[in-house]
Amino acid sequence: MELENADRGQSNPEFLVAKIKNGDKEAFMRLVGLYQQKIFVLTYSMVHEREDALDLVQETFLRLYEKINTYRSGENFNAWLMKIARNICLDFIRRQKARKKESLDQLSPERLDLADTDQDPAHFNPGELISRAVARLPAKQQAVFILHHYQELKYEEIAKELKISTGTVKSLHYKAVRKLRKLLARQLGGEA
Amino acid sequence: MKNCRYYRQDWLAYLLGELDSNRQKMMAEHLARCQRCQKELNEIKDVIGRTEDWRSELGKTMADIDWDRLQVAITDNVFRQKESQSAAGTAAPLKHRHWQPALAGLVAGLLLGMFFSYLLLRPERWPESTSRGNSKVNLPAGFVQRVDLALAQRETLDYLERSQYLLLELLQAKSPDEVSALLTQDRIQKLLTEKKYLNNQLEEVKLAKAKMLCDQIEMLFLELIQLSPEMSETELSSLREIIENRQLLLKINLVKKELQTSEV
Repeated sequence: MELENADRGQSNPEFLVAKIKNGDKEAFMRLVGLYQQKIFVLTYSMVHEREDALDLVQETFLRLYEKINTYRSGENFNAWLMKIARNICLDFIRRQKARKKESLDQLSPERLDLADTDQDPAHFNPGELISRAVARLPAKQQAVFILHHYQELKYEEIAKELKISTGTVKSLHYKAVRKLRKLLARQLGGEA
Repeated sequence: MKNCRYYRQDWLAYLLGELDSNRQKMMAEHLARCQRCQKELNEIKDVIGRTEDWRSELGKTMADIDWDRLQVAITDNVFRQKESQSAAGTAAPLKHRHWQPALAGLVAGLLLGMFFSYLLLRPERWPESTSRGNSKVNLPAGFVQRVDLALAQRETLDYLERSQYLLLELLQAKSPDEVSALLTQDRIQKLLTEKKYLNNQLEEVKLAKAKMLCDQIEMLFLELIQLSPEMSETELSSLREIIENRQLLLKINLVKKELQTSEV
């Protein structure tokens, strides 16, 4: 029974956070193990470069450690952590944007469907194409899309996770799919 | 169909089975007779169909990553960075390069401030300083004397004016009864008390003439309070004579003028 409780504690973020606050390295490693893949899906979906996405996962955990004392017990830990990861990605994208002096948002849908301007879409496989299109979605639409299609959460669960209403989740998901349809128009055929 | 807008946003939820049964049924009925919505649904299906590609692509990317190694690397990096930060923080928080100019400015400002404060406030700047009573506050002697003199002048002027009014009233009194009424009032008593207080002030500062005059007035008042309230006509006229002979009113006017012109 005690072993069972200890096991449950090892996968309970609240329990791990309390230990991390006291500087427990083992608990921190456990937490990294629990969330690194989830965060990678988010960072990779947002930046679509494997190495950048991995760096951002690491940055997310560093920020988590710095901010661990601001986490309040009872708060949705997953949502809290994902928000940190999303903000780190947005900062990264802003920096990239400033470097390239070309806003991804300002690109027209016709150009967006080609993803990187210096690469021919014909060279991409279907998975890469949609992956690049997902990376171009606005942050909230993207979050809903990932949570639904990768983490397979229901609308109600996503609403809880993102602290928005189910109606908003439904609307964001619809908008995300419409936008993907536009971005992938050439590959899917028909009107954009 | 006109009401397609009512269904449009729900086609995705319909496809994913996220609607309640009534709404799902209503949507199915509409779909059966609306070609536009059938087209919309097919487009959505196309995109959703592609999500499988997305998932597999993501899965392939993730399969290449050594997650166990990453877990250890992240943990080590975070703790290493944290340790180096806290070591730098405790060892020399002010050694950080961007603090140095600010710190130098702060120290220089403090030193300059201390130097100028000393120059301005050092006690030697005051030619003579004095402390009054038990007070530990040192003030320039000249300043204290000027204040004392000004106070003594004001008090004396006030005393002389009120004495002058009383003497005038005594001189102008038409009957012994009026004089008696003036004498029974406590005005003389108050003036005598005031004079006692004034003595100290007049002694401390050099107002010799004023002091002499005030003494004369005091003498007169002391005589007056010894007079009987029931005064005869003769007594009244002799009182008037005393006041006139001593030329008190004239002297009061002269001293008042002197005090007013030499006011500090």
